[in-house]
Amino acid sequence: MLEFPNIQSRGFRNIKEGNNIIGFQVPVRLTYYRGVWLPQLRPATVSVDGEKFEGDQITWVIDGKSYAQSDLQNYPDVHWSSLTPAILQIKKPGGLALGIHDVEVSIVFSTSYLPPRIDLGFGGEEPYKRRMTLVR
Amino acid sequence: MKNKSTFSRRGFITSAAAGAAAIATIPSSGLIASSCAGPTASPEAKPRLIPKPQFNGKPKRGVSLYSYTGVFGVTMTMEDCFIDINDMEAEGIEILANGHIPNYPDPSEEWVDWWFSMLNKYNLVPAEYGHWVDSRRQAGRTLTSKESFDMIVRDIKLAHKLGFKVGRTKLGVIDETLTPVENWKEFIKMALPVAEENDFVMCPEIHMPTVLKSKMVDDYVDFIVKTGTRNFGLNIDFGVFSTKVPNIPGMDQFKPSQPEDIIPLLPYVHACHAKFGNMSDDLIETTHPYPEIIKILVDHKWEGYLLSEYEGPGMNEPEYASDQVRRQHVMLKRLLGEA
Repeated sequence: MLEFPNIQSRGFRNIKEGNNIIGFQVPVRLTYYRGVWLPQLRPATVSVDGEKFEGDQITWVIDGKSYAQSDLQNYPDVHWSSLTPAILQIKKPGGLALGIHDVEVSIVFSTSYLPPRIDLGFGGEEPYKRRMTLVR
Repeated sequence: MKNKSTFSRRGFITSAAAGAAAIATIPSSGLIASSCAGPTASPEAKPRLIPKPQFNGKPKRGVSLYSYTGVFGVTMTMEDCFIDINDMEAEGIEILANGHIPNYPDPSEEWVDWWFSMLNKYNLVPAEYGHWVDSRRQAGRTLTSKESFDMIVRDIKLAHKLGFKVGRTKLGVIDETLTPVENWKEFIKMALPVAEENDFVMCPEIHMPTVLKSKMVDDYVDFIVKTGTRNFGLNIDFGVFSTKVPNIPGMDQFKPSQPEDIIPLLPYVHACHAKFGNMSDDLIETTHPYPEIIKILVDHKWEGYLLSEYEGPGMNEPEYASDQVRRQHVMLKRLLGEA
């Protein structure tokens, strides 16, 4: 089952490559009532304890496949399901310290059935926030 | 269009901690194996049949899984939703393709088998398949007619595979009153033969702030009449009759339709979203004129599905929406002469 908040704790951890920690990852789910096609997504931003990450510092992992943020528009037939968290992988040599962090994630996507004025109305109001505990 | 005010992220965040705390105390049902969305077991291959509708000659009761949005996959599995609907002696189920089908648009054959086994276990008829033409899928441009057609065809085929005959075909819009994209006739015409081949009716949803007496609805009816098609119709969302309009931008010009405005449209209406926002303790829906609406549908022997769409406060609270839907079905049973 999914955790209630958008930001999911299961999977929040540093990313190791060999003996080096190269970054960390944050799983997020859509609390929207349906999934979205990848081009509907706008670039996500992540911040941890006030340190902001954006653009190509972030890679999306959806159903086990990785997508650069700048490349999302090129996958019109790939669907991010609201039943499955996506994993945002963030480059940060050394990663995060074990312990408690204030994590914020902004996820924005287009919604064609709303007036164009509020195209991004279901995202972008304000970031999702959650106090998270990193254990590995 | 879904009411944005009920989906405010701010509201969600503030309720999240309480929700998470509450989840920890929820007893498991004990009756049914729990699964988020997928199969609980691998049933033996069986013919993919659906139960026959039982309530003919009058409006039929059903539920859109949209009602469970706030807790779906968190405190309720898809099977829990089936159980809820069966428990209300309701017969129709609406799913939202992009929201409820695991691995959409390519569910596994195992899941499709599971879907049919659930329909038969809980005696539910696939009443409506919600799908979208995401016209603004690509930033900065509107989808071409071919792209829109491809999107619709993919859904028609999947809907057919799952036993649905009616689709809530949500189109992209270009203005505040939800006028559909300019090329809608073109790609809908392209899709008509595919819909016919798959015994499927595409139905755009007429949703507030659109009203029934409007150029948009006239255009849809005109299209149906001129083409003579049986594969395009209407889904009426009862929000068009809403007597309590949310105070949000875009709604200031909205003057609700009168229940009788639906009468001339009934020949083209294949499903209704029984939208509601509050069932009171005395089992009255306080935001839409339900007695008048249902009387008209009964008097005119309309026999499509009324699909509950709860869209009110408390959607993110465990069990709240479920109880609201149960209350609504007591009201509907009474209004339909079933109780």
